Amino acid sequence: MNPETLVAINVGLPVVSALVLLVLNDKRLRTAIVSLSSLILVSSSFLLYQAGGVVFSPGHIFEQVVVILDFALLLYFLYAGLKAKSPQVVLLGLAQIIPAAYFEFVVKGTHVENIMVVDSLSILLTLIINIIGSVVVIYALTYMDEHEHHIQLEKSNQNRFFFFMIMLLAAMNGLVYSNSLYWIYFFWEITTLCCYELIRHDMTEEAIQNSVLALWMGLVGGVALIGTMFVSYYTIGNISLSELLVAAPGHYVLLAFALMAIAAFTKSAQLPFQGWLLGAMVAPTPVSALLHSSTMVNIGVYTILRIAPAIHGTYLTYGIAFVGIFSFLITSIIALSQKLSKKILAYSTIGNLGLMIFCAAMNTSLSYSAAIILLVFHAMSKGLLFMCAGIIENRLHTRAIEDWAGLITRLPITAKVMMVGIVSMFLPLFGVLLGKWAAIGITSTAPSILGMVMVAMMVIGSSATTLFWAKWLGSFVITPLVKGTAKNEELSAGYKLSLFGILGLNVLTSLGSGYVIKAIVTPIVEMNYQLAWNIDILTLHSQVGDFMILPLWGALAAIVILGNLVSKSKGGEIKPPYLSGENVEGNPIGFRTTADSVVEYNVAGMFFDSEITEGRWMPLSTIAGVLLNLALLALVML
Amino acid sequence: MMITINLERTIQILFIIFAPILGGILAGLDRKITARMQGRVGPPLLQPFYDVIKLWGKEPFIASPLQPMLVIGYLVFILTGLVLLAFRGDMLHIIFTLTLADIFLIVAAYNSGSPYSNLGARRELLAMLSYEPLMVLTAMGIQIVTGSFLLEGIFSYNLPLLVVLPAAFIAQQFVLIIDMKKSPYDVSGSSHAHQELVRGVYTEFSGYTMAIVEITHWIKTVFILRLMSYFWVNNLAIGVGLALSLWFVAILIDNIYPRLTWKHMLRTTWLTGFILILANLVGLVVLGVI
Amino acid sequence: MTIMDTSRLKSLWVLHYDCGSCNGCDIEILAALTPKFDVERFGIVNIGDPKQADVLLVTGPANNRNKDVLKNLYDQMPQPKLVMAIGTCACTGGIFHNCPNILGGIDKVIPVDVYIPGCAVRPEQIIDGVVLALEKLKGNAPVEEDE
Repeated sequence: MNPETLVAINVGLPVVSALVLLVLNDKRLRTAIVSLSSLILVSSSFLLYQAGGVVFSPGHIFEQVVVILDFALLLYFLYAGLKAKSPQVVLLGLAQIIPAAYFEFVVKGTHVENIMVVDSLSILLTLIINIIGSVVVIYALTYMDEHEHHIQLEKSNQNRFFFFMIMLLAAMNGLVYSNSLYWIYFFWEITTLCCYELIRHDMTEEAIQNSVLALWMGLVGGVALIGTMFVSYYTIGNISLSELLVAAPGHYVLLAFALMAIAAFTKSAQLPFQGWLLGAMVAPTPVSALLHSSTMVNIGVYTILRIAPAIHGTYLTYGIAFVGIFSFLITSIIALSQKLSKKILAYSTIGNLGLMIFCAAMNTSLSYSAAIILLVFHAMSKGLLFMCAGIIENRLHTRAIEDWAGLITRLPITAKVMMVGIVSMFLPLFGVLLGKWAAIGITSTAPSILGMVMVAMMVIGSSATTLFWAKWLGSFVITPLVKGTAKNEELSAGYKLSLFGILGLNVLTSLGSGYVIKAIVTPIVEMNYQLAWNIDILTLHSQVGDFMILPLWGALAAIVILGNLVSKSKGGEIKPPYLSGENVEGNPIGFRTTADSVVEYNVAGMFFDSEITEGRWMPLSTIAGVLLNLALLALVML
Repeated sequence: MMITINLERTIQILFIIFAPILGGILAGLDRKITARMQGRVGPPLLQPFYDVIKLWGKEPFIASPLQPMLVIGYLVFILTGLVLLAFRGDMLHIIFTLTLADIFLIVAAYNSGSPYSNLGARRELLAMLSYEPLMVLTAMGIQIVTGSFLLEGIFSYNLPLLVVLPAAFIAQQFVLIIDMKKSPYDVSGSSHAHQELVRGVYTEFSGYTMAIVEITHWIKTVFILRLMSYFWVNNLAIGVGLALSLWFVAILIDNIYPRLTWKHMLRTTWLTGFILILANLVGLVVLGVI
Repeated sequence: MTIMDTSRLKSLWVLHYDCGSCNGCDIEILAALTPKFDVERFGIVNIGDPKQADVLLVTGPANNRNKDVLKNLYDQMPQPKLVMAIGTCACTGGIFHNCPNILGGIDKVIPVDVYIPGCAVRPEQIIDGVVLALEKLKGNAPVEEDE
């Protein structure tokens, strides 16, 4: 099967499936189509990986289709803005449609020689999109049924839902294969559309408001990309990204990249564009799992990874890195004060994306590798966490993590999977920490004061993440003796497949992280940088140190074995906790107090309510973010 | 050449095996010196060993079925860190392994189901939050100066670490005070004879689980002291002397200061630690050392 | 004597519980911990957590309210353990033994190993009592007190 066909499958098949699913509203057909599409997509992604890449242009007819669809899309955005009475959407829509029309019909500059350029980076993204995307869509099959049952929806509108979910996969695949800035912009705006439609899916007041917020922030990115197109055309004569990347660096070329970076920030919700991602948590959980953690938001990181080699050594690259690390720092600290599960995950996502952008923009061989490692492992871990959070929320009907305390006795399987997911985000045994370790070593070559300050910011942010993950992790195992109202934890086959599939993948890739680096990370890094890694069986040798994952898993195995041995030989009678001698028979958390009444103890979570308030930190951070983004545009002058 | 390498390796292995004994003796010395500072006679030097052996022989009570395994997790990962340290591995990786070990202890404390251990666990997290960045920044400093996180790099560097990274050495004092659970930073569970939230993070451990936790704590202290001895690697006596002097200062400060709040701990360790180490590194850049 | 026996003798961790005492005996217990008498040289530490304690020092008489607490604390201590009744009130109820809510000495609730009468008990007597308790521990491992 030649690579062009595989590319066509990856972009075209989801479109076809999405249209079919839009028309058919039957549950069993939907399951069949989703499963089949997923299987084909995953297979074709692996085949494409083996093929190694391709450069080609689809027929001229496709260029025309894209133009037509693009303008239809922009008109739809205008319509949506008018209906929602949102001046931002209308203005930003006009700011796109007028220049785009000018560019297409007057300048006629949208043609590019090689529209599709598929290289190792595209293939990596496509693997993430298709594998994790497929798993999340399968998860959504069960989730949406539960969700609609919970909100007591009369007529199922899952056809709309799956249409946009799967359309998103098509758009993302298309985006990472595209070399024409116009096509990139087109697919970009399709993802904005899917994001808008999926956030507002439940049609509540809150959902509609947040969808409009996501829409106009996404449109800012679109405007920036249009800007990039114009700058590129008037500087190098065409809108081919590959040619722009190798163009002689000058102020205008850098300006094009700065605009692309700003577009990337809107997609990855970096400061000051973080508002939409936080608000997007009103959407059904599969949306959060797919768009807002493991797939769509990676577009921003992908963009920075693309342009980083071209802006090596400029002030712009450090400016971009600073926006990333600053976003990481602020969101990691604010996450300490959050009490809602999806909010914590959202803040963590923004932070990790910022970290990836920081690594990519620091522009060394090691930091670039770190960005890719973080990208791969974060996608798996975050997708898993959101999926678990969705299942728990459906059963407990609350998102407040304080109400989730002691989950290990109430929803044992989901709780255990989620605990492993949390561990995978911040502890050495899994790949995310490998990425962080590599990132801290960034100041190795030519240490600069700015570099050291940024790594210090990273250290603070990292400590904050350790704190909020660990306290959440601990809350799962509180009250071991309370049987509680054990909720019905029946997990459907779809749920089990998604949860254990991603969990297994995460464990395997972490165990085999050396292989992952050799097979996936190195080819991408080597496109533009020198090799940074030397992998052998036990150790990952980098330029600045050694990381050992397998020995730690060995230690873990020893712990399990030893732990069981000691438990069996020494054992121990399980005793109720110390409650100053006032324990109540049969109630592990009750104690006797005045007039011999029984009270159950409650320890509130640690949320730093007085020091870190979203209301105080958010506006200041947004202002800082705006200033930093404007500074980027100034930096291109230097 | 072959013989020297094997001798080196044997010494490290012996060190790892005897680390608990060394830690226990240090703990005993700690109590003796504290007693003398307070005008008392104090317990015998081997007292910690009597304590641990007695604990092992108690009737086993556990707070939950997971507790023994979690406590073993704490022990095994601290030992892993020690092994990596003894064989001059990657300092940053070692710090993360230590974090992993601490998380086992913290989850074990959360899993106990008592409000005291719950609060103790959260304070233990705050303690970790206080000292971990200092250790990471020290690792960063070592990497910037010697070119790699590998502790092996310190041995090939031409200057003792204390000369180029004095601020990192001072920051280790904070780390040690917090690790040894000494005032003013013993918010999560104090060293012997002090109570804070009953026994803080250690409240629900008893018998053999407490013994394992106690021994692991000794090993962790030995770990940090060994790390401090790397600040002067050319001369073993000076290196060990440096480590022991920080250890003594920790005991001294414990007897002078009362226990303070976690906010105070966080503020002082971060402000002093970050500013000192960053100033140190900036100074090195300015002086052209790196 | 085995190492375990020696360790048990040399490391006595104390849990101090005030059952309703006037605090006179409690003050004397704390005095025993001070540098003047320094019981830590015998390995005695006031540990405050029943799960880690070997000796339960009780002052004050048992009454209807605190009998459950006393029993609870006693049950939360792992074997081998000892109970010392400090002061006359803990031994027999003292001058309060006739009062309506007083059950008597603490031996009405939990088994007691050593009785130290006095009102208030002197630290030297407490140390004597501890020595007596150690005699009880010597050679008997584990010490079976109840059942």
